[in-house]
Amino acid sequence: MSPITIETAPPAPSHPPPPTSLFAKLTNVLAYPGDVFAEVASAPPRLRNILIPTLLVGVAGVMAAGATGGDDPAAAAVAATGTAAANVVIAARLRLLSALVTLLAVFIGTGWSALVLWGIGRVFLKVRFSYWKAMEVVALTGGIVILGTVFAALLGILTDDADARPALSLLVGRLPADHAVRLAFGVFNLFHVWATAVLAIGLSKLSGGSFKESAFWVFGYWLLVKLALVMLA
Amino acid sequence: MNRALLYLWWTLLRRRCLCFCRGLRRPPTLIACLWALGMAGGLFYYRGNEAFGRLIRRDVLAGAILIMILGSIIKGFLQRGLAFEPPDIEFVFTSPFTQRQILLYRLLPQYLYAAIQGVVFAAWFAPHLRHPVLAAGCVTLFQVACFHLAMAAAVWGGAVSDRLHYRLRWMMLGTCFVLTALYFRVAWEVDFVPACLHSPLVQLAFYPAMTPSDVTTSAWLMGWLAGLARTGDVLAPTFLEPASWLAGFGLAAALSLWGLLRLKASVFEPALGTTTRRAEARLRAVEGRAGVAAVAHARSARLPRFPLFQGVGALVWRNLMAVRRSRKDLLAAFAFVGIYSTILIALLWKFHQYVARAPVNLGSDAPEVSLSFHLGVAIFIAALAFFLQRLFPFDFRRDGNHVVGFRTLPVSPLALVLAEVSVPTFLVLVSQAVGLVALLIFGRFPWPMLPPLLLSYPAVALALNSVWNLHYLLTAARQAAGRAEAASPVGTLMVVIFSFLVFFPAIWTAQRLCHFVSGPQALPLAITTGLAIQIGIDVLMILALAGLFQRFEVSRDTRANAL
Repeated sequence: MSPITIETAPPAPSHPPPPTSLFAKLTNVLAYPGDVFAEVASAPPRLRNILIPTLLVGVAGVMAAGATGGDDPAAAAVAATGTAAANVVIAARLRLLSALVTLLAVFIGTGWSALVLWGIGRVFLKVRFSYWKAMEVVALTGGIVILGTVFAALLGILTDDADARPALSLLVGRLPADHAVRLAFGVFNLFHVWATAVLAIGLSKLSGGSFKESAFWVFGYWLLVKLALVMLA
Repeated sequence: MNRALLYLWWTLLRRRCLCFCRGLRRPPTLIACLWALGMAGGLFYYRGNEAFGRLIRRDVLAGAILIMILGSIIKGFLQRGLAFEPPDIEFVFTSPFTQRQILLYRLLPQYLYAAIQGVVFAAWFAPHLRHPVLAAGCVTLFQVACFHLAMAAAVWGGAVSDRLHYRLRWMMLGTCFVLTALYFRVAWEVDFVPACLHSPLVQLAFYPAMTPSDVTTSAWLMGWLAGLARTGDVLAPTFLEPASWLAGFGLAAALSLWGLLRLKASVFEPALGTTTRRAEARLRAVEGRAGVAAVAHARSARLPRFPLFQGVGALVWRNLMAVRRSRKDLLAAFAFVGIYSTILIALLWKFHQYVARAPVNLGSDAPEVSLSFHLGVAIFIAALAFFLQRLFPFDFRRDGNHVVGFRTLPVSPLALVLAEVSVPTFLVLVSQAVGLVALLIFGRFPWPMLPPLLLSYPAVALALNSVWNLHYLLTAARQAAGRAEAASPVGTLMVVIFSFLVFFPAIWTAQRLCHFVSGPQALPLAITTGLAIQIGIDVLMILALAGLFQRFEVSRDTRANAL
């Protein structure tokens, strides 16, 4: 077996793609992710490409939680204590804390996923690229997450089921939310698969490798590991 | 299947059987074969036992099938190509056989193995099977299928590129892990995944393949947030205190690292000197010349006139000179004795204070408790010998290079061994005496215990020095023959164990005597007997050392060395 060496990221093309605005990137990632990530790979990392999309995802998550009755657990958690007025204050605080946690979680998730993407490139694809570029790729994929969150919220309102998701789990909607089959079917969420595919495109652009190879590792982690965890639960 | 290949296989099989039968003339092969047959026969004899029935339960069989299938595929894939015998490459590959015929030829021994496996399976598990013959056939065919899988994986693994092979190896590893975990989860209800990984919070690890609002569905997180909302204190004390400790120490570590990395001093030049010094010291220690550097700068000493240092006593004088020139070692040893004795003195003080303040607690047991405590302290002083022996290397440890020369001296081996062992034993005894005197003066150690201790400490020190010198002499003999480097950790561990075991006969006898003899004379009798046995063992050890030294053949070993 020939030794596998670590290569550096591919050199920037002689004619880099024309720079686009952040809004254009967020919308183009839905239709032309390859072009967006080619631009990301050739341009230096920009903090706003990470912060703004991630913040938007967090805001969308907070709004979706509110729209689908996300305060129900809060109300249940504080109902047993104090007077009605105090309960109102506590519930308001709890909503605020939940929103903060959701925002924080999105940022943590972005950082972690970028680390996984960077690690896959470094360990399995044997290619070096900047961690911040991986962050940019993950953050810009947030465009799909925003769309998925809005879609899930609308679906929840439509079906009157807060756990309804645009996934195969819709086929087994009668089963309880924590049923193993429903959870396993829930992994095949249309938007999740889409976001994973876009991540694979991003990784292939960053590493300069083939989409097939990137997709192998990205789907292996973002889909199969998730499925394995659900099945082993 | 080509008939020529079938004949070749049959001939080779027959020859192998004959070779195996001839090999049985060798006792190790015969014993191994008899052992295997005995095991198989034993299992056949107990085949009716219910344990055999449990082995062919559905869940166990499912596990075995899983292991065999996965094992076959992985084994074949990692092999990357079929493995033939070297003569096959020369004769079979160059002959006009098709690829299919060669594959079948390669499979023939495996088919035979599968058939034998099926027969053995039926023989062992027949009492628990409804259709033993059918089961044996199924096992045979399943094994055959596994061989086919392994061969297919090997052929395919050899054809793919290195990169794809590398990637598929990881995929196989992951798949095997998941399948194994699933099997254990379904068949044995064993969950390898920790409960915390089933929390909705873990979905964060799969961002962006997650819905952000799902994070707040975690019961644990909501409970925590509800607690925070009730108290109004976002950083609750239960969280704040540990977090602040962690942050404080983390900051200290980060600051110290920052300071270290900002140092402008050169690392390389001082490191070169230190590394060289360390390496030289290590080399000297390995060669048994630990104090050579210090001795090189020492002044010459006058020859001794005292008759004890004449003849073989010159070795004692030479070792004493080495002691005089190893002031650092001596200082380290006496500092150690000082610290050790201070701890014991403090213990004795506390014990005396306790006895003086609370005599009621002890009652009539006071004399017995006091005696036991003082005996324990005396044993601790005796245990000093274990540590000090390593600190005084003035014996065969240093003289390993000179053993060949010693063998040519006109002295008896016994006298030479005694001369070598005497200096470290003497130094150990002096150190123990220093500790004992300190205890007598400052720790109010009882004087009546002194005579037995004065007799027993030399026996202990001599025994330990004899054991370790036995090891040093063996090492020196091996080094002289050019067959050994430094002592292995296992060898050193064995010597340590032996240095404890050497006291076992004396202690065991003393204990038995204490058990059987009652009255005031029991303890003195036990101590005296134990002491006598220990002295006897010491004498035997010294004689063993002398005998070993005598067996050290100069001519043979020097010749080996020269070669």
